Amino acid sequence: MPIPADLKLFVESADLASVGSLYLQTRLEFLRSTQNPDGGWGYFPAKQSWLEPTAYAMLALQGTSGSNPAVERAFALVRSWQLPDGSVRPSGNIQEGTWVTSLAATLASTRGVYDGNVKSSVDWLLRVVGAEHNPVMRTASFFNLLKTKLDVSHEGWPWRSGNAAWVEPTAHALVALKKVSKNYPSAELAYRVREGEALLLSRRCSDGGWNCGNPNVLNFDLPSYPESTALALLGLQGRSSQELAGPLSVARRSRLETKSSLAKAWLAIALRCHGENPEPPAEPATATGSPDIMLAALEALAHPDGNHHLLATGGRA
Amino acid sequence: MNRRKFVILSGAAVVGTYAGIKLQKPHLPPLPDGPPGNSAVAILRARSYSDDLVGRMLEGARQCGLDARGKRVLLKPNLVEFDSATVINTDASVIAAAVEVFHRLGAAEVRIGEGPGHRRDTLDLASDARYFAAIPKFENLFTDLNRDNVSPVHNFAGESHFYFPNTVLAADLIVSLAKMKTHHWAGATLSMKNFFGLVPGSLYGWPKNKLHYLGIPESVVALNRRFRNTFAIVDGIVGMEGNGPIQGTPKPAGVLVMGRDLVAVDATCCRIMGIDPEKIDYLRMAADLGHVHASRIEQRGESVASVQTNFALIPEYQALRLA
Repeated sequence: MPIPADLKLFVESADLASVGSLYLQTRLEFLRSTQNPDGGWGYFPAKQSWLEPTAYAMLALQGTSGSNPAVERAFALVRSWQLPDGSVRPSGNIQEGTWVTSLAATLASTRGVYDGNVKSSVDWLLRVVGAEHNPVMRTASFFNLLKTKLDVSHEGWPWRSGNAAWVEPTAHALVALKKVSKNYPSAELAYRVREGEALLLSRRCSDGGWNCGNPNVLNFDLPSYPESTALALLGLQGRSSQELAGPLSVARRSRLETKSSLAKAWLAIALRCHGENPEPPAEPATATGSPDIMLAALEALAHPDGNHHLLATGGRA
Repeated sequence: MNRRKFVILSGAAVVGTYAGIKLQKPHLPPLPDGPPGNSAVAILRARSYSDDLVGRMLEGARQCGLDARGKRVLLKPNLVEFDSATVINTDASVIAAAVEVFHRLGAAEVRIGEGPGHRRDTLDLASDARYFAAIPKFENLFTDLNRDNVSPVHNFAGESHFYFPNTVLAADLIVSLAKMKTHHWAGATLSMKNFFGLVPGSLYGWPKNKLHYLGIPESVVALNRRFRNTFAIVDGIVGMEGNGPIQGTPKPAGVLVMGRDLVAVDATCCRIMGIDPEKIDYLRMAADLGHVHASRIEQRGESVASVQTNFALIPEYQALRLA
């Protein structure tokens, strides 16, 4: 995909003292310049608006100078994508609501919005369960008939209703439910948080982190993915530091080793939400930015001066 | 209740679910004869990625009677993982050669698109796989199919509205630039399975769990039934054996396998790998789309026997070995 010349991010001959600020400001400016006329953001400039990049762009820009109107327009768009059942569509031309309902609830909580629409989204999240959590699969698991070493006894969240639970949508649902729990307290919500956490903890890979879902296939252990590990740690905020010592260690190491910019950003966000203060990313003297809007937003959130705290849950539900 | 009885009782209800259940394979009935006529499949020797791949591909395209003139061509590589030291991804040299070949064949437009199944950082994946470095103007040619604009098609995969990337829907010819690999769910992943990457993760997740629920073989066939204007170039110069498609080990096979009939191309690849194509579920299910029987495949270039080299199979799949 072509990168429009005016969207390239250049940091030239940056002195070390200003590099952090430039890193953050170039990303925020990129986000401000790529908002679509409908108020949302695409995954890439001039592409259709999707809720996922819109949510992260909103979080990155929230409270930054001059960004309020842009964030308000984006929030109005996100609200317009809610369906009568409480779920939220991932984009304007999609008919069904998906896992992004979690992001919409998180966004609302960061803005202090707890109205009927948000409650409706929370209720939808409480109704949705990974489809592998059913009697047949549980019995198959009991008889060791699954091709994977997988605990299917816990209730997590799928990408789409009717599919199996995976680490990432489960983590996002946990963040959302923990953030709204004080406003919508219920035994059901507390139960689902406990179950979601149990699901994540049961699916850790043998190396201490998380793959997308399965820790093992056909007796082969799968390696953890850094971004999945980061998201699982976000979902597990509030668990004891002793319990998470291993995964946090994996996260620290993965952040230094991974080649994925997205994973680096997610890992920094997760570590900051767990009270750590990882070094800001090294900035080359001249850097050309990526056209990836979601990445720019996450890198802005991950910066020491970024809004990573908006994804902190303040503990368990 | 013993294990066998349990599987028989419960299997039908859960086949295709995400974890998968160990099912006893029933006796396989003979395959139907397939569509009318025969299919040409070209096997071209290429011992390394520094060989003249453009020349090989042009020869293969000629042998298969490919006409790409005036077409909007979408090249679909298999880009999966950050691991440039192994052979998980379609080699950049193969894609670069294909771009040049389709321009030389008179395509109106040549684009590259991929929607990786697990990793979300597609551009960094492409960078790690040397696509930016090895493919001229890659940044202008590439679309992340996971995060493209989408439009609905009707009545696909049991859904009234199923969404595909606009880049895919706009293509006149989709070229599967697959990698020759074993696969721990499907047995082998070749040109047909490569179409999983046409499904947008932005809607169906990472991985695309809807396809697991439909069933991996069923999904492979459904995608290939939906997209019929296709061509295959399978990168078997160095494939992957053992616990593929990610954790296996490199296996040099020294071939490119090409053809318009993706079923026949994959059946040929299986025979090269020492796998019985009639035991691969998605090939059996696709027997009405193309040819699995060797007698209906007109082999061009090298013969299967001259390049055949057994790919190691995990214990679960030893029964797939070609007799």
